[in-house]
Amino acid sequence: MATVTFKEASRIYPKTERKAVDRLNLEIGDGEFVVLVGPSGCGKTTSLRMLAGLEPVDEGGIFIGDQNVVGLPPRSRDIAMVFQNYALYPHMNVAENMGFALKMAKLEKSEIVTRVREAAKILDLEEYLERKPGQLSGGQRQRVAMGRAIVRKPQVFLMDEPLSNLDAKLRVSTRTQIAELQSRLGVTTLYVTHDQVEAMTMGDRVAVIKDGVLQQVDVPRALYDAPINSFVAGFIGSPAMNLLDATIVESGVQIGRTLVSLPQSFHQIAGIGPVTVGLRPEALELASDGNGISAIVKLVEELGSEAYIYAQLDDLAGETTVTTPEIVVRVAPTVVVKSGDRITLRVKDDSMLLFDAESGVRIKGR
Amino acid sequence: MTVPPVAAIPGERSRARRGGRSEDGAPIGSSRLSGYVFVSLYVVLLALFGIAPTAYAIYLSLTKVGGGIAWGSNFTRAFQDFRFLPAFEHVAEYLAIWLIAEATLILVLALMLHSLARRTSAAFRFLFYMPGALAGAASVLVWLFMLDPTLSPWHFLLSILGYAQIDLVLQPSHLPLIFAIMAFWTGAGGWIVVMYGALNNIPDELLEAAKLDGANAFQSALRIKLPLIKKWVVYMLILSFAGGTQLFVEPQLVGQATAGLVSNTWSPNQLAYYIAFINDNFNEAAAISVTLLVLGLVGATLLVWRTKLFEIN
Amino acid sequence: MKLSHFTWRIVGLIVLLGFTAFFFVPVIWVLLATTKTDVQLTSSGPFSLGTLSHFVHAWKALFGFQSDAMVGWLENSAIYSFGGVAIAIIAAIPAGYGLALTQFIGRRTLLAITLVTMIMPATALVLPLFLEMNSVNLTDTPWAVILPFSFFPFGVYLCYIFFSSTIPKDLLSAARVDGCNEWGVFRYVALPLARPVVALVAFFAFVADWNNYYLPFVMIASNSKLPVQVGLEYLISSTEAFNPGNPGTGAQLVQRPELALAILVAIAPVAIVFMFAQRTLVKGMLAGATKE
Ligand SMILES: Nc1ncnc2c1ncn2[C@@H]1O[C@H](COP(=O)(O)OP(=O)(O)O)[C@@H](O)[C@H]1O
Ligand SMILES: [Mg+2]
Repeated sequence: MATVTFKEASRIYPKTERKAVDRLNLEIGDGEFVVLVGPSGCGKTTSLRMLAGLEPVDEGGIFIGDQNVVGLPPRSRDIAMVFQNYALYPHMNVAENMGFALKMAKLEKSEIVTRVREAAKILDLEEYLERKPGQLSGGQRQRVAMGRAIVRKPQVFLMDEPLSNLDAKLRVSTRTQIAELQSRLGVTTLYVTHDQVEAMTMGDRVAVIKDGVLQQVDVPRALYDAPINSFVAGFIGSPAMNLLDATIVESGVQIGRTLVSLPQSFHQIAGIGPVTVGLRPEALELASDGNGISAIVKLVEELGSEAYIYAQLDDLAGETTVTTPEIVVRVAPTVVVKSGDRITLRVKDDSMLLFDAESGVRIKGR
Repeated sequence: MTVPPVAAIPGERSRARRGGRSEDGAPIGSSRLSGYVFVSLYVVLLALFGIAPTAYAIYLSLTKVGGGIAWGSNFTRAFQDFRFLPAFEHVAEYLAIWLIAEATLILVLALMLHSLARRTSAAFRFLFYMPGALAGAASVLVWLFMLDPTLSPWHFLLSILGYAQIDLVLQPSHLPLIFAIMAFWTGAGGWIVVMYGALNNIPDELLEAAKLDGANAFQSALRIKLPLIKKWVVYMLILSFAGGTQLFVEPQLVGQATAGLVSNTWSPNQLAYYIAFINDNFNEAAAISVTLLVLGLVGATLLVWRTKLFEIN
Repeated sequence: MKLSHFTWRIVGLIVLLGFTAFFFVPVIWVLLATTKTDVQLTSSGPFSLGTLSHFVHAWKALFGFQSDAMVGWLENSAIYSFGGVAIAIIAAIPAGYGLALTQFIGRRTLLAITLVTMIMPATALVLPLFLEMNSVNLTDTPWAVILPFSFFPFGVYLCYIFFSSTIPKDLLSAARVDGCNEWGVFRYVALPLARPVVALVAFFAFVADWNNYYLPFVMIASNSKLPVQVGLEYLISSTEAFNPGNPGTGAQLVQRPELALAILVAIAPVAIVFMFAQRTLVKGMLAGATKE
């Protein structure tokens, strides 16, 4: 087992200007499960491939344990990877696919057979060992790809959106299986996904990346409660946090035409002017007294255990257009509102986040 | 265990990029070298049997028989040879007929077959395409039979035209047409199959959309299908042009079978052969080869760069 | 004036049947001719069927011609074609792979040269090739034919298209992660997957090589080393009907039914390949299709 460290690692693709990965610094502890998450095209795959040795590192270093692996070919890095489309060898059966790396490592035949059996048992693939990938379902293929990684008992697992080709239900169950398996095997893992739910549920820690730049690395709870900036705040959580343009005046926060009082901990910033207000859907509740942010209901999403109200803040004239901001509110399923209703919303105590309007950096309360 | 985005860690500046960047993510360093290894055998063959003879032909065409630089004299001598112009005229005439037939008949047939039921058209395609197996010397022989009025299954046609003997059929002025017929007989079917394949590549929805837009079969062939396979037509024409300039076996064998009815310097390639082996002047022959190469090169270059048919990325 | 749908169909049918006759009557005629005597070719109708005994006679005469010359020519054709195809494939598969999936300086240039040489017909190079072969004393040996055959840029292009379009890059990445070096990636992943393109290249190379006339015509001097295509010319020059009153001294003469049979025998291998390879033809010729 080993730690993994990215030190100022950058990748600039030939004939491009921007760094696909921009001075990435990331430490993954021994046996830790770190998830790299971010929107599509932000450089997740590139980071992973740099660690794998499939993509050169243009600046900086990458360490596995104490060894700088920059320049080493993938075969010398003792890593295993699960690809997004699995990349199973179509001409080999399941057993051969899983055993291929061991064969390349010149292990004894009997040892290969044992290890493949073992992995197949864990992954419930014993019946399919003779089949070619083409004869397997999507879920089975995914498990073969996992199996190919685990038979090797490598220093590091790399997984690039391994669940994205599965249907929603299978994705949820496989999610927990992978997390369990990883903690059982205790292999250091870097896992890439664009799905923040996946990231939050699976990772020991989650690294959020945007446009090649790492934004924040932390345990899921901390990311949710204390996002470093408005990007992370908006990216983590579903439905996403409401981010509203507002102004801090002396007497409180002006959101649209509603003045909301500034929480106690933010009193030192009274009067600073424009900010972005972050309100999680659960940070809002319907105000019974009609005092609060006024909005018109556009849609109610009933999820059984809870409901989400999608509403639009109305302007001074009480009208809404497509450009007026939308707001999502989580309510109990028993609340009865319907599309077109006018509601007023109250911000729960101490649940408002404030971000610098320019830089997006979160303004910390005292 | 929280690791915030650490500030720049100095040192460890790129020991990376030993072998430069790799565009496709092949591992660094080894890829470039291994690329050379993979293409090596082919490159050797290319050098020996593609580049060397080309260079040699150019060299020969520019030097004198006994040695010494000839500059353009081999070319002028070849061009002034009384057989040179006729040979190129023959081939030009042949090409004109063959290319026009390709551009019209092959397309019409492919479009017709494409409008038939799949099974039926498959049968027709097979029948059209099989004579392709008789390319080369075999097709010349077959047509020697076909054009002999005394035994041809087409003798009624030949007699309508007033030809009672093969000598009358194989008049010099007929030869370009006859060679074009041979080329069409062996080559057309294959191209029909290919054009049909290209037509099949057109998405069904597109043709259905045209139908909904009110196009009848004829209009959809003319306005939708034809423009979409145009590049393949260009491809076919240029390949046929480049190949057609190289005519050799047809006039050679017909000449053989008719005891001199066809000149043995009928086509440029025959002339080059004659000058090389009978006149023993490889330098002048090389001048003709180079002329043919240039024609082929122009065709090839046009095809590769103007039609954008080929991927080089 | 607008012709009715029905009329168009009839016109279309007539055109199709006309072309079917054009393409196929010669084939049928040649088949039938092998069952007749030379006299019957002219005396009985062109579509009359002869007898089996005449066919057997033609067969014996053809294969008896100059003590089994025909068998020798077929063997030569087989050696030249298989030799050429084999080396062409051995060179083309790794080359196509290298061009498609590795990076090296000169890759694009090599690709461009390949495209140009594959379109340019090789015939004009035959004379300088002859001198080249002559200078190393290889003329009139099988190598003089096999080696030029083995330079088959179209095959390289097909392999290039195949590797760049059908092998996902991730598959190669997976092999690298699994511990392969560059050779291993090719050997264990690309090569086993290349089977379809081997068939494609083999088809085009085989047909081109078997039917090639000019190259062996120039390179090969000895009668016994001729391939069957050039052998056919020799048969023509020995055919009585084509050389009236000029039967070379003591030369054995060939009758036209035997010649018809010779055609069929000479093209049989290509015909067999053709029967099964119609699809291959389309795939190969449209292989350059840049998807729009
Ligand atoms: N081979 C390449 N050449 C040039 N740019 C690339 C290449 N691969 C990826 N990129 C670019 O690098 C950025 C990051 O890509 P990637 O790491 O694949 O993103 P992600 O996996 O997060 O979706 C994207 O903007 C993408 O367009
Ligand atoms: Mg990705």
